[in-house]
Amino acid sequence: MASDMILYWGSGSGPCWRAMICLEEKGLSDYTSKLISFDNKEHKSDEVLKINPRGQVPAFQHGNVIVNESLAICLYLENTFKSQGTKLLPDDPAQQALVLQRAVESQDFREKAAYGVLSYFMRTKPEDRTEAMLEEKKKTCHEELQIWEGYLAKLGDGSHIAGKNFTLADACTFPFIATLVRMGFNLSRYPHLAKYYDLVKDRPSVKASSPPHWKDTPNKDTLKDI
Amino acid sequence: MSSDMTLYWGSGSIPCWRVMICLVEKELSDYNSKLVSFEKKEQKSDEVMKINPRGQVPAFKHGDVVVNESMAICLYLENTFKNQGTQLLPDDPSQQALVLQRFMETQNIMDKAKALFFHRFRTKQEDWDQGYVGEKIKALAEELPLWENYLSQYGEGSFITGKDFTLADASLVPALAYLMRMKLPMKERFPCLASYYERVSDRPSVQSGWPPHWKDTPGYDYLKDV
Repeated sequence: MASDMILYWGSGSGPCWRAMICLEEKGLSDYTSKLISFDNKEHKSDEVLKINPRGQVPAFQHGNVIVNESLAICLYLENTFKSQGTKLLPDDPAQQALVLQRAVESQDFREKAAYGVLSYFMRTKPEDRTEAMLEEKKKTCHEELQIWEGYLAKLGDGSHIAGKNFTLADACTFPFIATLVRMGFNLSRYPHLAKYYDLVKDRPSVKASSPPHWKDTPNKDTLKDI
Repeated sequence: MSSDMTLYWGSGSIPCWRVMICLVEKELSDYNSKLVSFEKKEQKSDEVMKINPRGQVPAFKHGDVVVNESMAICLYLENTFKNQGTQLLPDDPSQQALVLQRFMETQNIMDKAKALFFHRFRTKQEDWDQGYVGEKIKALAEELPLWENYLSQYGEGSFITGKDFTLADASLVPALAYLMRMKLPMKERFPCLASYYERVSDRPSVQSGWPPHWKDTPGYDYLKDV
């Protein structure tokens, strides 16, 4: 029952997108959606702080149950609504292990591939940036992408990130691949990742939860030369 | 059956310690324990890379099932051995949500503490960036009161999510031990956490994973100013 569910989220937040994909996949799309503005620092509002004292989104409430931290929300949704919607965590031990591993590994993708260079640009003034540091960030980014390209290559065309089917691992990883594309990164150098991106971007749950402001404005070119 | 389980681990690795706690809690203590030497870079050996191509520990195998990433291993163990040992993830939705959230939240402590540790460890004292250090100390000083507050809601003798030991404790206690190892003045600054830490440290599962070299050598005092 999604009418007693509230999700506080911000447009462009990968972690929020993870939770929203899972809500859609579990057939809970009629949750109460509370979009907050990062620019207006609404994630630090009393309303959000009441759910998440860290003043971070996603912040989620289901009746009297509160869950923060995107991976925790995703796991909670799968466990609580196991028998409805898409099965996001396989029962088979080997399959489940792989899905759990990739879901947790998606944090590496987020930090090293999606945000390695981006964070550096966002947090360091141009005059304080060094060529050496930028090269290091670029190297880390590409090494991480090669790892995931390898995962997909091994699984073959048309597969999802942890096997044949769409799982929690895809919900956790895809938002950060999409972030790279949004910021102008040329994904075609990684053909399996590029195919995977094309496959998943049109999935109904993904389309339904895409960052609204991304639809209205063209992609950036921040990462085009990375 | 833990005779067909192998865990590659390193002394002082907090993620490895989490897994070792869970193995003992789930009554799987006779797993094959493979201690690697970080000094000799054994985590990059062929033997480990075969299990974890990232060349990281913990690297875990259960029969044919491979699981890497400590959070994934812990969740896998709880799901696969639900009916034996300690129940590390409650069935009650509200409690489960809290455990999953705190479990994921402990990463905040590790990220902030590690940032400080690595900066001071890798940089000569005369090159320590006082601005950066100050920033990191502040971040940790703002993180820990959240945990003190989480714990103080419950009475004396409780665990981090209430009356039972769960995944959240398996993840938190090693992180607190890491802070103590670096001389964080926990008793003075965070008395609830200190008393919790002292009590839960004695738990057999926690003792089983205590980094061997910590018993013989003092830690650095990098966190004494937090």
